[in-house]
Amino acid sequence: MHPREECKGIQDQPADMMSTKAFSLVSAVERELLMGDKERVNIECVECCGRNLYVGTSDCFVYHFLLEENTLPAGTATFTATKQLHRHLGFKKPVNELRAASALNRLLVLCDNCITLVNMMSLEPVPSGARIKGATAFALNENPVSGDPFCVEVCIISVKRRTIQVFMVYEDRVQIVREVSTPEQPLAVAVDGHFLCLALTTQYIILNYSTGVAQDLFPYCSEEKRPIVKRIGRQEFLLAGPGGLGMFATVAGISQRAPVHWSENVVGAAICFPYVIALDDEFITVHSMLDQQQKQTLPFKEGHILQDFEGRVIVATSKGVYILVPLPLEKQIQDLLASRRVEEALILAKGARRNIPKEKFQVMYRRILQQAGFIQFAQLQFLEAKELFRSGQLDVRELISLYPFLLPTSSSFTRSHPPLHEYADLNQLTQGDQEKMAKCKRFLMSYLNEVRSTEVANGYKEDIDTALLKLYAEADHDSLLDLLVTENFCLLTDSAAWLEKHKKYFALGLLYHSNNQDAAAVQLWVNIVNGEIHDSTRSDLYEYVVDFLTHSLDRELVWQYAGWALQKSEEVGVQVFTKRPLNEQQKSSFNPDDVITCLKKYPKALVKYLEHLVVDRSLQKEEYHTRLALLYLDEVLRQGPSTGGRGAEVTETQAKLRQLLQKSDLYRVHFLMDRIQGAGLPMESAILHGKLEEHEEALRILVHELRDFSAAEDYCLWRSEGRAPPYRQRLFHTLLAIYLGPGPSAPELTVAAVDLLNHHATEFDAAQVLQLLPGTWSVQLLCPFLTGAMRDSVHTRRTAQVAVGLAKSENLIYKYDKMKLKGSSVRLSDKKLCQMCQNPFCEPVFVRYPNGGLVHTHCAASRQTNPSSPSPGART
Amino acid sequence: MRKPDGKIVLLGDMNVGKTSLLQRYMERRFPDTVSTVGGAFYLKQWRSYNISIWDTAGREQFHGLGSMYCRGAAAVILTYDVNHLQSLVELEERFLGLTDTANADCLFAIVGNKVDLREEGAAESQEEDGHSPGMASGGCASLKVSKQVRPEDAVALYKKILKYKMLDEKDAPAAEQMCFETSAKTGHNVDLLFETLFEMVVPMILRQRSQGPAQTVDITSYKPPGRTKAGCCA
Repeated sequence: MHPREECKGIQDQPADMMSTKAFSLVSAVERELLMGDKERVNIECVECCGRNLYVGTSDCFVYHFLLEENTLPAGTATFTATKQLHRHLGFKKPVNELRAASALNRLLVLCDNCITLVNMMSLEPVPSGARIKGATAFALNENPVSGDPFCVEVCIISVKRRTIQVFMVYEDRVQIVREVSTPEQPLAVAVDGHFLCLALTTQYIILNYSTGVAQDLFPYCSEEKRPIVKRIGRQEFLLAGPGGLGMFATVAGISQRAPVHWSENVVGAAICFPYVIALDDEFITVHSMLDQQQKQTLPFKEGHILQDFEGRVIVATSKGVYILVPLPLEKQIQDLLASRRVEEALILAKGARRNIPKEKFQVMYRRILQQAGFIQFAQLQFLEAKELFRSGQLDVRELISLYPFLLPTSSSFTRSHPPLHEYADLNQLTQGDQEKMAKCKRFLMSYLNEVRSTEVANGYKEDIDTALLKLYAEADHDSLLDLLVTENFCLLTDSAAWLEKHKKYFALGLLYHSNNQDAAAVQLWVNIVNGEIHDSTRSDLYEYVVDFLTHSLDRELVWQYAGWALQKSEEVGVQVFTKRPLNEQQKSSFNPDDVITCLKKYPKALVKYLEHLVVDRSLQKEEYHTRLALLYLDEVLRQGPSTGGRGAEVTETQAKLRQLLQKSDLYRVHFLMDRIQGAGLPMESAILHGKLEEHEEALRILVHELRDFSAAEDYCLWRSEGRAPPYRQRLFHTLLAIYLGPGPSAPELTVAAVDLLNHHATEFDAAQVLQLLPGTWSVQLLCPFLTGAMRDSVHTRRTAQVAVGLAKSENLIYKYDKMKLKGSSVRLSDKKLCQMCQNPFCEPVFVRYPNGGLVHTHCAASRQTNPSSPSPGART
Repeated sequence: MRKPDGKIVLLGDMNVGKTSLLQRYMERRFPDTVSTVGGAFYLKQWRSYNISIWDTAGREQFHGLGSMYCRGAAAVILTYDVNHLQSLVELEERFLGLTDTANADCLFAIVGNKVDLREEGAAESQEEDGHSPGMASGGCASLKVSKQVRPEDAVALYKKILKYKMLDEKDAPAAEQMCFETSAKTGHNVDLLFETLFEMVVPMILRQRSQGPAQTVDITSYKPPGRTKAGCCA
């Protein structure tokens, strides 16, 4: 009927990008329900209690409506008000204020400076006619002091100057309990417990009506603006301050929240957690108490009432009543997230903690953190994203699934519903920007690497490791190998296909290995070494494979590839047999005979292997020793006879051969002797003769053929090692005999003989030697030998003397011990008689024989002179 | 909301840099700030205590709120601009009175901000000081002398404050300890300022706690200010 006027309150809302939509404004009571077309009638006050809505008008009517909330399919709420009744109060004054006291079923109506009690349903005044006179304004105490549930505490600003009165209001009576005077005329009041929060003419104060103590809050100017005093919770008030501030103050006179910034001409304020709502003549503004920021602005012209009733916010113009419907908190948060305002969304969510059951909150909050994480992620704010994912306990697969092809095909994962973000995949998120894509991938790499060993990974280790492998392979990242050589959960089929696609064959081998498919691994690597497929990851892949086989417990596998390894390099290939870990050798070692059969075609390898058996493992088996010696010998013969003589420049093999011939006692000497015969290896045949105890022949070769005298001396020492001295002496004498022997006596042999004597004087029996020596030799020539021999002889004698002396004294010690053992204490008494003369002892002096017999000293002395006397011992 | 264990309030004339000091300390940055409306506060966790730090508006318009902000404060940071002597004068004339509502053992720090802007002027002003040693007391001379504030001026103010609070200099922290020269722009001395105060405030919190239920402010211990006002008018 009046379409223009109907729209007076709500205007079309401009889209404000930076605002939250916390409330929507809906109409509750339309004008025609109230006053029809009476133009000059205005709404003066509103009260809402449960579903009951009361409206007081300028023409002294009170209307009662029932509110019905309907939720439209779209999720928005609408209200229909059904008029119950209306009643004229019988004055010609406007209705100033309405307050319901539902416990009493009473409505308190302030009209013409008088508060009347009317029935909430019938709007009839109580029959007792109880009323409070002389009030210009009043407030109910929502934190009452008395415990009586059938009584409300009402505080009025009296028509008396500077006076506040406190009443108890019962069902049909009222009772004044206190009257306090104020320093200035009060203009507005709110109550909490004993505390009145008052707007005076020039300042706000807190007044304890019980004690009368007042506390200044802050000054303001009542002439410039209408004060607002609004209780917002236990012991806390919201006040209109200077410069359009909404100030918070506690009953202690302290501000615990930062002020909100309104416009200068705010006429009303209400609270709907976590928002402070303010009304001025053009707008409804919404500020958050959590961060003090303005969150929403709703254009609303000519509003003059804004009040909240148990969480329901009502705003009214002089003609219509509207309800500010709060959007569900989750919806608000989602809206914030949708506009990428992560921080605000999180603050709002945290602020809601105490309004939502703990379990429900945690689920909701985690989800919000995850969503926020994806928003940060999409903006490439990876540090922030990571922290949010972590605190939101994100299922890592949500993140992995953004990257095409990373999740294993076998993964059962489906994204959570409703989705945590709006992106199908990374391509859409980065819009094909390769650089961004690469950054995202690097982030995922580091993130997965961090979480894979934490509990976040529990249950999805396969998915994580497989994704990580794919990322590494694609990026040609070094960590690919680290991942594969340590414990991992990469899924074989998926990973293998991916590695093949990226030609990471070496890595693929590692993957096979970690999946216990060593045969496949080695086959792959062998193919790389053979150049059949290309992968340059390792330049030393051949050595790697050999090493791998060396440590492999799979004997079949080793046999399978031993031939290949040996073909590549005998020396390196043979390591698969020679370098096997020791502990493994004992358990299931390869049978040496099998290995030797296998190595037949590879002489160098065979030598190495036999060396390993004989030298490293000290196997005492004749066959190996003989075989090794023969192999050495063949090699030496193949190289051609050494220049012989004083073998300064013997080949390595020859040295090894000699070493073996000397050290080993196991090879077949005669067999080798036959082979050596006529081969021009005098040193070797000397050693062999030595082994056969044919010292004369051996030394003959050394002296006459090789003319290597030091070798001859060494021979004597070598062969006499561990034998008794006479054996050694015999060897040296043999050598000496050869030096001095008949035949073309060369001067050098003489010199050698002299040197031998002089250097090894102690190894000879000097007496024997002297007889052998030609008489022409001078003493001077043999001086060192003779001196040595003499010294040795003297030394032997003296040593023998010392030994005799020591033996004697040792004997004495034993005697002494024996005597001591036989001795004991002696008691001398009248009854003891000398064993010689049978008389008692008269003095404490006596002689005791080793057998224990006691005699007088004089008797002993006389016995000494008479050795034939019987021994005293015989008498006992 | 976490309940703060102690309160520190920043007071001072507009444009001396209160908000910047606080942002430098809390957010490690020096953004352009706009004139503070009303007030704002940060909660700082210092060891196991929550300390609220209130940034107040320096504008005359919001002057009336100062008393309420200071109520129950453990420390007040009186801030001036080292390049404007008047801002130091204002501290005594306008802001000191606001601290009447603070705790009886409230600490006072005098902070000269914007030392980064002083560099050129400093030498000049010292020269003038040198030329007119005898005229320090002369009013007209000081007008002509630069507007720079010397550290001694801050120390003098500190001592005046102690006198105003009727505190013995021996019982209060030393002036040298409580007068700072800072730069919110470079961060010079900013951490030192706040952390020195935190260290001093924590024992006060402990003392207050040990004194038991006095944690809730006992407003009976305040004389009703209404009466004094009335007396003044009458």
